This record gives sequence, structure tokens and C-alpha cells, in this order.
Amino acid sequence: MRTQLQPATQAWWFAAGRLLGTIAAGLIIGALIGSVWGGLACALAVHLAWQLVVLFRVEWWVRHRSFADPPDIGGVWGQIISQIVRLHRRKRFHKQRFVQLVRQLQSSTAALPNGVVILNPQREIVWFNRMAGRLLDLRRAVDLGLRIENLLREPEFTRYLRLQDYSNPVIVRRASREDCYLSLQIVPYGDGQQLLLADDVSRQMRLEAVRRDFVANASHELRSPLTVICGYLETLSQDPALDRDLAGPVAEMRRQAERMTGIIHDLLELSRLEQPGDPVGGEPVDVAALLALLRKDVLARPVHPRELRVRIDSDAALIGEESEIHSAFSNLVDNAAKYTPAEGSIEMRWWVDEDGGHFSVTDTGIGIPSEHIPRLTERFYRVDPGRSRATGGSGLGLAIVKHVLQRHGAELEVRSAIGKGSTFSCHFPPQRVQAIRTATAV
Amino acid sequence: METADLSHHISRRFNEDLERVRSKVLAMGGFVEQQLQKAITALTEGDSTLGESVALGDYQVNNMEVSIDEECSRILATRAPAAGDLRVIVAIIKTITDLERIGDEGEKIGYIASRLATMERPADKYREIKHLGRIVSEMVHDALDAFARMDAESALRVARQDRLVDEEYEAIQRQSITFMMEDPRTIRRALDVMWVVRSLERIGDHAKNISEYVIYMVYGKDVRHTSLDDVERELRERAAPAGVPRSTGP
Repeated sequence: MRTQLQPATQAWWFAAGRLLGTIAAGLIIGALIGSVWGGLACALAVHLAWQLVVLFRVEWWVRHRSFADPPDIGGVWGQIISQIVRLHRRKRFHKQRFVQLVRQLQSSTAALPNGVVILNPQREIVWFNRMAGRLLDLRRAVDLGLRIENLLREPEFTRYLRLQDYSNPVIVRRASREDCYLSLQIVPYGDGQQLLLADDVSRQMRLEAVRRDFVANASHELRSPLTVICGYLETLSQDPALDRDLAGPVAEMRRQAERMTGIIHDLLELSRLEQPGDPVGGEPVDVAALLALLRKDVLARPVHPRELRVRIDSDAALIGEESEIHSAFSNLVDNAAKYTPAEGSIEMRWWVDEDGGHFSVTDTGIGIPSEHIPRLTERFYRVDPGRSRATGGSGLGLAIVKHVLQRHGAELEVRSAIGKGSTFSCHFPPQRVQAIRTATAV
Repeated sequence: METADLSHHISRRFNEDLERVRSKVLAMGGFVEQQLQKAITALTEGDSTLGESVALGDYQVNNMEVSIDEECSRILATRAPAAGDLRVIVAIIKTITDLERIGDEGEKIGYIASRLATMERPADKYREIKHLGRIVSEMVHDALDAFARMDAESALRVARQDRLVDEEYEAIQRQSITFMMEDPRTIRRALDVMWVVRSLERIGDHAKNISEYVIYMVYGKDVRHTSLDDVERELRERAAPAGVPRSTGP
């Protein structure tokens, strides 16, 4: 039974047959002309020359890459040619699909409303989309291969790159345009590649400024009429001719008006702290003296916890804006005093270690349920609405603390257990701490 | 590393040194740009705190200049650069001097701004200064862009802008003289304003210098004290210069 031969096998048999035929023809011609070897050599030479011609055609075809038009050659060479053609077709097909995919990806990224720039590990621009070109004033073709920091020279961005903390975007005021704010963020990916995302936040920044100005102006405008009301209420409450039935209400009105003054004061303070700007520089603040002052303030309250300790473990000074530090610390101490019963205790502590400077206030007050802790620093956030109003806070104290600490590069940490008390700690970075060199500490 | 002509060095370290020092120059430029803008804002908005912060921030510019200068000396001493690289280093050394001067002028404006903030503001709210300030900051920005891109044509455009600044300077000067003659009480303020305008005009000159260094860096031709039209003609003739540092994309 004969099996169907593969074309390749067939070609090999054919080639072998042809070689044998050539040899046979050579031998016959050799026998005719009387020189067997001469005939054989002649036949082989012809065979070799034919093979060379075929080889030349194949090589010429491959060199000129005219894959669409293969030479008409049979035998083993024909097989090789058809293999090459098939490989090439497959490659072209994959390439086309790949190119299509890349093009789709690029066109979708190009259409993104955000600016996207691809950077290599040296932060040189590899590719950017249309929006990035518009936001960052990048020029197509010209700017490829340039380092991004050479074109985006805003000091905020330079600092962002130097610190290499890419967890948050950085807001940059564009130098070349008026009132243009960009939010820039680096996203590292792959093998040292980086993605720069740019977004125009001018509108948000403007709205934010309008809101801030509104709060500041409104508070300011409310202050003058309130001063008048407070003045009259004070006179009234001291008037001996005042009807006795009215004495209670007038006293209450006076208390509430004073509370309102406090709220407005805090609102103004807060809107001042919210102004964007560089982190504050400041002067060395003597923490020990400041805490002594705060202790006196607590002792001056009509009701205050019995035990009030101040622990100073370091005579290092804190570098910051004294009025702001005072306002933040006094808010924390005030809170502790407010929520701690007379038989409780409060401890203020200042210490320095390799992580920086730390200030903490520990009280044995009522404590804060854990679900409220993350939201404590929100404006007007109340853990227990009824109770807080009774104690007369503005609801802005911890928001002020948060902003002051942010401006000083510090963090607020809150730990609390219900019924046992709370600890509020402020952690300042090491560069905010200055060791006092003079040996004046007694 | 695609900045074509800076990439041909056998020593990769040299490349990195050059690129780093270039980035440092541009970072310094970015800081100076911001100082200038803050100073102008402080003046036009009457913000004395901002003016003071500009005046106090100038020491950072000086520090940057010293550090870049040192690095350039180190590169000159250890790598002995030639041709295009030498031009880059020379241009950098000159550029930082001009940037430092711009910083100084910005400091002056900031200082005057904090003083003027306490005085009565004119009815036009320093509109002319704002206008001139915008032209000058744009010049500084474009000069630095040209430096980053090694773009001689943009540099030439910046250099041309200087004429406009001179004209504005003249106009404000004439206007100030009129004010002073009309009402001698404004003389003090007008003199301060003249100082600011003078500083801005000087900053324009420094920006022009920087763009001339860019042309020098790219074409190896010193174009200082020559007419800009001659320069342009020459640049056109040498439209395709060979072996000059020029940033091109891949």
C-alpha cells in the first residue's frame, strides 16, 4: 500500500533522483567519449552551476524582500521559499495586529482629558498626549528626549522630584501663564518607567479661594455688630436697676454672644491658616515656657482637673510660628480640660528622639469612640452634639490644630479609650527641633 | 539619553555630569522665575509680606549659583571638555551669573514692593509695571525654554523682544516725569517705581544675554554686540549645522 508522500519529502526524493540522474548521464556521456571521469566531472559541474543559479535567485529574492512575488522554483528550494513566505505572512499579520492595538491604545490615551507624559528612568520624555502638550507647553517631536524637569522648572515640582514622594500630587502654579494651576503626579511603573499625570485645577483653586475669602469676609463683617451687642449686654448685666426676671436671660445672652465671638475668632484664624503657601519658617519656640503658660490658663478655669502635670524631657526648642504653635497646643490642652472631670488628671509632655519632637496631652476624661476619631478634625464635627454645645467650644479647635500642624510638617495622632481618657500627640519632623546650645538651663 | 550630541561621549559619567549640571541651571532658572513673578505680584497687589519673602529668598539663588559654579570648575578640571561640550560649560557659567543678577533685581523689586505697600497706591494700580513685568517674565521663561531645548531660533526671538522692553521703559519714564511735575507729593513713590522699572529693564537685558549664550552654545558663534538681523541671516545660512549640540527627538 502506498502512502501519500509529504511535499517536502517528495521534493527531497526528487532532488536525490535528479542528482542520481545527473551522475548517470555523466557516466553515459563519459563512456561515449571514452573518459568516464571527464564526463562525470562535466555533469557535476553543470549540476553545481544550476544549483548556484537557483541559490543566487533565492538570495536575490530574500535580499530585496519582494515577499509578495516569490520566484518560481521547484524542488527543495521551492519548499524553503514557501516556508519563508508563510513565516513572513504570519509575522506581518501579528505585526499588523500589534500596531493596531498600539494605535488604539495611543489614540485612547491621546483623547484623555488629562495630560499624560511617559518618562524613561532618566525622566526623559518618551511620549505625551495632546492634553499634556497643551497643559505643559510641550512641543511634539522637538521635546521628545528632553528631561521633564528642564521644561517644568517650577520650584514646587523640582522639590517634588527631589523628595521622590509620589503618593500625592503636587499643585504647581504655572510660571508662563497667569492664574493657571496644575496638579502633577508621577506614577512609577514597569522597569523604572514613570508616568506623569497633569490636570488643570485652576478652576478648583479659584473656587477654593472664593470660598476662603467669603468665610473670612463674612466673619469679619459679623464681628463689628457683635462687638456692639456684647458691649450693651455687659452694661446691661451690670446695671443694678435691671429687672430681676431679666438678669438670667441677659447673663445667658452675654455668654452666648461671647461664644459667638469665639467662633468668629476661630473662623478667621482658620481661614488665615488655610491660605496656601510655603511651609512656615519661624523662630525657635521655648516649649517649656509655653507649657507653663498653658498650665496657668487651665488652672485659671473655674472648674479644672485636680492633677495637672507638665513633663519636659528635653530642653530643645521647636522651630515654628510661635502664635500658631500656641494656638494649636492651647486648643489641645483646652479640650483635655473641658472633657476631664475635676477628679481626673491631665499630663502635658514634650520630648525629642531621632524621629523629631513630640508634644502630647493625656487626659483621664470621657474618651472618644473610635469611629469618631478619623473625623475629629473636620470643621464643626461633634462627637456628642448636646454635650459639646454645653461646654461652649467653637467646634473649630481641632481643625485649627490640624492646619497649624500641616503648615509645620507635623502630624496629629489621636488615641482614645472610652471612659479611660485620650492622648493627643503632635509629631514634628527632626528639622523642626533645635537643640539649645547655651547652658542656661538651670 | 537622546540628546543627540551630548550622547556621543565614551564616558557615560561625563554625560550624566553635563546633564545634571544643565538640569541644575534650569532648576535655578525656575526658582528665579518664580521669585520675579512673586516680586511683581507683591508690587501690583500691594502685598508686603510676599515682597519681604522674595527679598529673604534671594540667598537660595546665590547658593545655587555657587554650587553650579563649583560643579562646572570640577568638570573643566577633571574632564577637560572640548568643542560643543566646552561651549555648554562656558555658556552655563555665564548663564548662572545672569540668573543671579535677575535674582538680585527681583530681590530689589520685592524690597521696594514691601515698602510701597504701606503707601497710597496710584489710581492705575501699577498697570504699566504689570504689563512690563509680564513681558519680562515671558522673556526669562522663553530664554530658559530655549536653553532647555537648545533652540537657537526661539533664543533669537527672545533677544528681539528686548527692544520692546526698552520702549516700554521709555514710556513709563516719561509718564513718571509727568506725574512728578503735576504733583510733587508723588515724587517719592514715582522714584521707587522708577527703580522697579529700571530693574525690570535690566532683567530684560539679562534674559537677552541668556538667549545669546544659547545661540553661542548651539552654533559656536558669539553674537553679543552684533545686530540681530546679521545674526539671523547667518543662522539661516547655517540652517543645518554639523556637529553642534542640538536636541532632537528619537
